[in-house]
Amino acid sequence: MKRVSSARLLAALVAGSFLVAACSSDGSSSTDTAADTTTADTSGSETTADGTDTTAVETTVAGSDAWAVNTDDCIDPAAAEAPIEGTIKIGSAMPLTGGVAAAAFAPVKGGFEAYIKYANDNKLLGDLTIEATIEDDQYNKDLTPGAISKQIDAGVNLFSGIIGSPNNAAVRDTLNEECIPQLNALTGSPAWGDVENYPWTTGILVPYNVESRVYAKQLAELYPDGAKVALFYVNNEFGQVYADAFKELAPDFNLEIVDEQTIEATDAAPPTAQITSIADKKPDVVMAVPLGAGCIGFLTELAAKKAQNTGWTPATFITNTCASSLILGAAGPAADGLYTSGNLKDVTAPSNAADPAVKEYLDFMNAEGLGEIAATAAAGWTTAEVTIAMIKQAMESPDGLSRASIINAARNFTYTPSLARDGVVDTMNGADDPFLAESLQVLQYAQPTATFTDIGSLITEFETK
Amino acid sequence: MKPIAIRSGSAASWAIRLVCAAILVYLAFWIPTSASNGVIDTCITALTLMAAAMALNLLLGYTGQISIGHSAFFGIGAYTTGILVSRYGWSPFQTFAVAFIVAFVVGALVSLPALRIKGVYLALVTLALALVFPQMMKWPKLVWLTGGARGLDNTGFKFTKQNPTYEIFGWNPWGSLRGENVKPFHYWIAMVIVVIVYLACRGVVKSRAGRSLVAIRDNETAAAVMGVNLASTKALAFGLSAALCSLPGCLSAIRTGNVTPDSTNLTVQGSITFLIVMVVGGAGSLWGPIIGSVLFVFITERTGDWSDPDAIPGVLRPFFSWSNTPPGTGIFSIILIVLMFVAPFGIVGMWRRFQARFVTVVPRPAGTGTIVEPVAAPAEA
Amino acid sequence: MELFLQRLFDGLSQGSVYALIALGLVIIYRGTGHLNFAQGEMALFCTYVVYQLGEWGLPIGVSLPIGMLVGFALGAATEVALIRPIAKKSAFAVFIVTIGLFQFLNWLDGAIWSDQPLPNSGVGSVQQSFPSLFPNEPTDFVNVFGAAIKIQSIGVFLLVIVLFGLLYLLFNFTKLGLSMNAVASNPESAKLVGIRTNMVLMTSWGLAAAIGALGGVVFAGINSNVNLSLMFGVFIYASAAATLGGFDSPGGAVLGGLIIGVIENLAAGYAPRWIGQEMKVGVALAVILIVLMVKPSGLFGTAKVERV
Repeated sequence: MKRVSSARLLAALVAGSFLVAACSSDGSSSTDTAADTTTADTSGSETTADGTDTTAVETTVAGSDAWAVNTDDCIDPAAAEAPIEGTIKIGSAMPLTGGVAAAAFAPVKGGFEAYIKYANDNKLLGDLTIEATIEDDQYNKDLTPGAISKQIDAGVNLFSGIIGSPNNAAVRDTLNEECIPQLNALTGSPAWGDVENYPWTTGILVPYNVESRVYAKQLAELYPDGAKVALFYVNNEFGQVYADAFKELAPDFNLEIVDEQTIEATDAAPPTAQITSIADKKPDVVMAVPLGAGCIGFLTELAAKKAQNTGWTPATFITNTCASSLILGAAGPAADGLYTSGNLKDVTAPSNAADPAVKEYLDFMNAEGLGEIAATAAAGWTTAEVTIAMIKQAMESPDGLSRASIINAARNFTYTPSLARDGVVDTMNGADDPFLAESLQVLQYAQPTATFTDIGSLITEFETK
Repeated sequence: MKPIAIRSGSAASWAIRLVCAAILVYLAFWIPTSASNGVIDTCITALTLMAAAMALNLLLGYTGQISIGHSAFFGIGAYTTGILVSRYGWSPFQTFAVAFIVAFVVGALVSLPALRIKGVYLALVTLALALVFPQMMKWPKLVWLTGGARGLDNTGFKFTKQNPTYEIFGWNPWGSLRGENVKPFHYWIAMVIVVIVYLACRGVVKSRAGRSLVAIRDNETAAAVMGVNLASTKALAFGLSAALCSLPGCLSAIRTGNVTPDSTNLTVQGSITFLIVMVVGGAGSLWGPIIGSVLFVFITERTGDWSDPDAIPGVLRPFFSWSNTPPGTGIFSIILIVLMFVAPFGIVGMWRRFQARFVTVVPRPAGTGTIVEPVAAPAEA
Repeated sequence: MELFLQRLFDGLSQGSVYALIALGLVIIYRGTGHLNFAQGEMALFCTYVVYQLGEWGLPIGVSLPIGMLVGFALGAATEVALIRPIAKKSAFAVFIVTIGLFQFLNWLDGAIWSDQPLPNSGVGSVQQSFPSLFPNEPTDFVNVFGAAIKIQSIGVFLLVIVLFGLLYLLFNFTKLGLSMNAVASNPESAKLVGIRTNMVLMTSWGLAAAIGALGGVVFAGINSNVNLSLMFGVFIYASAAATLGGFDSPGGAVLGGLIIGVIENLAAGYAPRWIGQEMKVGVALAVILIVLMVKPSGLFGTAKVERV
């Protein structure tokens, strides 16, 4: 066991030096690579001290130059390398009660569990049975560690789809010490790409700053001479990351930010006062980052204000957290013509009804009695699907299925989820590309038909960064 | 049956106390050394809540002032630690003292309007404090310090297997107890905080100041007539309660490694949790918050995965399998309401009534250090 | 000037929602001297009931009265079963029971309606959005000196005024209302002169919850959706409104609601850097604190009813 691990370490060392060679001309990433080299060097010297069989090393190097995790820092390296047989246990913590925030995420759990059942029914992992437990952490970061530890005690092999940035941050130290994969964190904070410090932690959502950049680019195309932009965002971690990224990019794309208005996530009242202030500045564009039910309030309020101020017809950009026909349908005509983005197919759109993957998804959800949450549950479904695909890749790897091989598979992963738009290829590649999903399609919504129209082509340029 | 009378301070009473203390100390050491990670983590959660509820109890249970604002003091602790550790590179241990002082000052200031505002209005003023605190932390003018809505990261201890940076008198608490796991270390911080808060509450309650507090609770005017200084006593109680409540806040920042203004314990929901935990355990008794928080965390943890009907124990399944929402909150709310009917002084109150049927503790006459023969003990009971 | 007027109107329209919920709080406080912490959640439960009836195909004209009746029953039952037996013990216990009810009802809504963030417009669902009592298309507004007022806001404002008028008539000219006043000012004497105190208390709770249900439905209509966090924020503002106006004065509650709505809107609008949307709640609460320091029972409240 030890020998295999050492061999992989040396592989990592070699890969690391390639990286240094490849990137040495690129000044911007020099800090990261320098740090990488240090880590790789240490492990390299350990390997030499072990007196590793040289032939084995060479085979591995020839076989893969891929990123591989270093299990030496684990509390129990043997457990991280131990083969998983018979049953694989997937754990998670999601807000199932706790009012405010819980409400927005509940359908994710339905979709997640539905896919696990689907995978078991169809024997997607062969004889391996999948067990998924989802603990309720009430979106309270002080409860997440307890919920996670309880599952670790119950023998959970990996975690997937933990919701919320603070919640994921609260357990990442534990999971990285214990060397248990913390896959597909359901938050788009850029913090989940820290391969060096948290190799066992990965995210699944498009990082918020990437999405911001996509909108800024689209705006630059619509307004080549520059535009006045008003920002409206929900005043929590999610909205703040978005807004900060957008503000940072704005000058590069000749965008002037004329107003910034916020709304509290807990505030159910429509943002009348905020839109009044925005309308007063008459911006060309309103860039909005609302959340859940707040999307509807924002859109109806903006539509009313547009009707009141004849001649003011700003373009509206709204983040893809709102981009489901469920939410936009509730907003009615107010949603017509807005821009957003997405990387999943809209499962409720009639044009997608014939799509085999969508049809299979809807059929399965309806059969499970989850038809009414199908639209919002797609995120959970996709999270579980990606997780299972990672496990499958680990099973098929030469190392066999273990916690370490799962994270190695996840970090060297190329996959197209069944509900993803055509052309989306989710990729993670060690430290080079620590984020899974970075492809986005800019969309425009047409209310009368309740459909999204693609604007331009799929933006994949961030996928490799 | 006639209850057995035990003299306070007698050999029997000391024996019982010793046995109880021994069991508790044994448990306190058994958990981090032998229990599983899940149990330790659950205990840390319970200890955090316990300290906050005990701090609230000092104010509410003993002076009768309702506060729905203690989440703000919890938050002051979390933010003091967060800011000093992540922005100024302090060791987390050093931040506890600062948090204590800051929360004491803020608490004492809040008590000033409390001199004039009473009852429901005071409850609402403290509620306002709970509402304003997270907004204050998000305030754009303070982003340089508080990190705004994003909050602060890396607010805990930073250590790796290779270089344990923090030692207590040369003792490496996470290395020597079990493996390199950080949980026992957090556990011990939590335990020390709870012991400090308990001793502080006990010290106050059993002192002259404590008797003034109870006098204020029971009859403010009479207390003033008897020479209790209302303003300074209330300010002291409020300040101390706030200061003690900040300590578990510091722990929360250390344990989860981040501080965000929207996290539950820093918002009104946190205040409500502290309050109901304290009331269920027993307001106005030192052990109330301890029992209450253990029960609360037990229920929360046990029911956390009950969205899956198979996880529900067989007997209870018909009652809870109709919904896929975990029933923890519902169960605890019902316990709370029912307790208000059968035992307004919570579980501890119920236990005292129950044990009084079998055992009575005869108090020592006030003002005497030596044990006096109980003459009329059975008659009193 | 137009902007000022617009902000004033925005504030008034927000304030009338606060006032609507605050009226329910005041009725209970007048009758029993208790703050009903569960007022908002009782309203939310009824709003969900109305939503459910809509899913079953009932129009809002039918489901709203049913929802209010459910509210009345819920309020009356709460008073009889939970509040009355406890009130004899201590006011603090009543407060705790309402907090327990607050937690329980929110959990129950979530458990029954499965944490749906929106009315289902997915498969097999009837309603696109929560039905509004008033016209709420984007074009439904009137222009006043260049500023726009939504028909919906006018509707809510008128609703508050009418409701206040009805309550005024109730408290001053009906036997029930006069008994309520009598019970509020002196329960013992009221009993002695033959007023059925229990009946009166039960009715006040029922009435308060029914008004709350109305408020919840109106507010859900403004938002086009009902969700678990709908009422909490409004409840806080409504308590603030009642505190400002005096907890035992319906007129004070209405005025308090409007004042808070206007102040926070103007402050947030004209000091976007220093106050803005983030700190507007702080301004509203600072105003209340100042008022309380000067007059501890609120602007129009009477000092003697305070009992907690």
